[in-house]
Amino acid sequence: MSQFLQATLYGLLQGCIFGLVAVGFSLVWGVMNVVNLAHGAFVLSGAYVAYELNDLVGLDPFLGMVPAALVLFAAGYLLQRGLVNLVVNAPIFITLLLTFGLELLVVNGLLLVFTADYRSIPTSYAADSLVLPGDVRLPYGRLIAAIAAVLLTLALSMFVRRTRTGVAILATGMDRGAARLMGISARHVYALTFGIAAALAGAAGAAVGAVTTFSPADAGRYTLFSFIAAVLGGLGNTYGALLGGLVLGLFQAWGGQLLPGTLVNAIAFGVLVVVLALRPQGLAGRAFYASRVEI
Amino acid sequence: MNPRRQVIGWAVGLLVLLGAFGLQTQLYTGQVRTVSTVFMYVGLAAAWNLIGGYTGYACFGQVGFFGLGAYTTVVFMTHLGVSFWLTIVVAAVVAGLFAALVGFPLLRLKGHYFAVATLGVAEGLRELVLNTPAVTGGGAGITIPTVGHDAPTPWLGNDGFYVLFLVLAALVVAVGGYIAYSKGGFALRAIHQDEDAAAAMGVNTTRAKTLAFAGSAALTGAIGAAYAFQQVTIFPERLFDVNITVLMVVMVVLGGSGTVAGPVIGAIVIAYASEWLRQHLTNAHTFVLGALIIVAVVLMPQGFVNYARDAVTERRWSLLDNVRRYRL
Amino acid sequence: MSARLEARNLSRRFGGLLAVGGVDLDLEEGKLLGVIGPNGAGKSTLINLITGQLKPTTGTVHIAGKDFTGARPWRIAHAGVARTFQIVKPFRGMTVLDNVALAGLYGPRRLRRPAVARRAAVEVLDRVGLGGKAGLGPGELSVADARRLELAKALALQPRVLLLDEVLAGLRPAEIAPALDLIRALRDEGIALLMVEHLVHAIAAVSDEVLVLHHGQVLTRGPAAQVLADERVVEAYLGKRYAERIKKAVDDDVPA
Repeated sequence: MSQFLQATLYGLLQGCIFGLVAVGFSLVWGVMNVVNLAHGAFVLSGAYVAYELNDLVGLDPFLGMVPAALVLFAAGYLLQRGLVNLVVNAPIFITLLLTFGLELLVVNGLLLVFTADYRSIPTSYAADSLVLPGDVRLPYGRLIAAIAAVLLTLALSMFVRRTRTGVAILATGMDRGAARLMGISARHVYALTFGIAAALAGAAGAAVGAVTTFSPADAGRYTLFSFIAAVLGGLGNTYGALLGGLVLGLFQAWGGQLLPGTLVNAIAFGVLVVVLALRPQGLAGRAFYASRVEI
Repeated sequence: MNPRRQVIGWAVGLLVLLGAFGLQTQLYTGQVRTVSTVFMYVGLAAAWNLIGGYTGYACFGQVGFFGLGAYTTVVFMTHLGVSFWLTIVVAAVVAGLFAALVGFPLLRLKGHYFAVATLGVAEGLRELVLNTPAVTGGGAGITIPTVGHDAPTPWLGNDGFYVLFLVLAALVVAVGGYIAYSKGGFALRAIHQDEDAAAAMGVNTTRAKTLAFAGSAALTGAIGAAYAFQQVTIFPERLFDVNITVLMVVMVVLGGSGTVAGPVIGAIVIAYASEWLRQHLTNAHTFVLGALIIVAVVLMPQGFVNYARDAVTERRWSLLDNVRRYRL
Repeated sequence: MSARLEARNLSRRFGGLLAVGGVDLDLEEGKLLGVIGPNGAGKSTLINLITGQLKPTTGTVHIAGKDFTGARPWRIAHAGVARTFQIVKPFRGMTVLDNVALAGLYGPRRLRRPAVARRAAVEVLDRVGLGGKAGLGPGELSVADARRLELAKALALQPRVLLLDEVLAGLRPAEIAPALDLIRALRDEGIALLMVEHLVHAIAAVSDEVLVLHHGQVLTRGPAAQVLADERVVEAYLGKRYAERIKKAVDDDVPA
């Protein structure tokens, strides 16, 4: 029983990180109808930023989440403004191919600079655990990462709903033409959204670096998990993405107990396909993004 | 389209085919294998074009059908000793039926959802293969017996496979060419441009989409079967590699999605570019490929064939106009 | 004479919203039923329920006596029922001619070859007045021509029942008269017509009967003159305050 509890808690902690990674991905998809295949590469980039800072100046990776987020925000903003905005009106294969090319570029760039070796960012405390009754262990590193992830997701949700800029982002996502007529610069809003998504991915990457090993080869996996969590949670729905991440984390943890290794991923995909077939707006989402008006 | 232009099209195709046969005598072994791979991608791209280009349903799990055809062949030849020439047909049928089956729920999805769902199916197939080692050899791979009296069909040799892949490519392109101007092609184009309006005008959209999907899958499965036989030993990571799907999509889109010649031109150019980069820039070739894809997608999103046609008929040569077309 | 198309108790809910509630209607050959109602009354939804774009929550649709409730749109088209869309839906990548030729290939005639279907399409284009524009792309058409194309696509299905959804919207006054002539001609050929419209004089000019929808339900029905004078109809369009003002003005015989 305690093993089940352990797996559940572990899954939730992992799920929080998935949620943080997925939130930006979901926002970009919901607002701009862009599926960013390079999203996982942003996560890894953040991890390497934190790694280098730790290597050079000994910066704690959890503190490293901040510079990672800032660097990735700048990169994401520029990429959207200068590159992705060029194909926003094109059929979806075009944006998919563009972001795929970007993924190849970033992942291979990281491989050339850092090689495919698995690395991690060790801290003195991350491996120690909080021990609960029943001999259930919560590693401090994962606990901090999960708390940070939830806080960031909540901060984003409030930003999007309560601030002027955030509402501008939502409005542009619902009806770009109307938003532009109201004086909103869609180019800037899109770039901002992409930048925020990249920043969150980068922060998540730094957290990942603190709690586990990473390599550029993991990028595809994080993108895939973002897909699943975003669809489960409903596109553009920030709370939903966190929920989707938690579901995915739990699923992996329980599945890992019951099924042989990689079959869990296949079943995760199977669940995704079923959810898509039965309820395309996701478990928590609303259908309004399906009726988007574009000018 | 003008019947005379159609005849010219078929004539050009026939000439290219004859040329490709003749080319074989001019190449030495290493090049024969490379060109065979190019033919394979021509066939794959032309097959994807049926569902992705004509119908507009971007299937990102196409490699699943490739791998399914490959593993069907391997299983039938290795465990059941069936001749390759029979199993390639079985592989095509299996892939086609599987597509019709999963198409039932999946073809109701649109856009990104369809893309992701088909990707999921392909990943699921790979996991299935990985987890049934008794039948498929799992992660350790499986080998087709090609010599001795265990072998149901002797290995075709590099020259034999050259011809096989060329014939398959020609078949897929011919099917695409036929459909393009037929009643069916009309329906697929209408579905692509406005599915609801097509349905209101009497098009059974479910049947049309399913036929396109199953046909595309069957042809892809047949090519997978040929690939499996050529490789002799196959592994799930290679046969279900998502990069194969992406290459197919890049080839079709950059060549000209929805046209007949587009996938052919796109496949030839990209396959050669990829080979050249792999040989000359081994470490950085994927990096450069990524950069090239980005540049090409931004400068020529409508694909080469459409760009060339617009440029010639309307004298619109400017690539910058392309950029302005889709930008925000 | 039994109606060509019969709808009984047709309803559609979207979550808590009743978009269409308990609508009965009959479409008879050679007769035109006008459907009016304020925006959001459920007029387009009603058409969608009949022609298969939406499944009814309750109710039935019968065509020539056979049950077609919730049937897919292509089956409805094959049964001889065609419609136009309120926001026109042309196939943007095809010529005007090909837009119409599709109906010949996949409609009730089920022609086998595109060339034959194109020849048949030419006649339909001539009928609606697009004869010289067969080679244009839909993006190059004026508003009036775009509406003509939408009508041509429906007519090419050789329907016995035709549902027109605000087919006069956006037309200049000079363009409306010939459009009404065409509609009258179609009715005289024996087609059963349903016409959703906002232009009161157009409805009055061609309708044999008028149905008023309000909040998804039938408010009243009857001959055009009677319905248009009904104070409930005025109230539905203009609101209670204006309806009372008009009634008072009429009663006092004073300009409002």
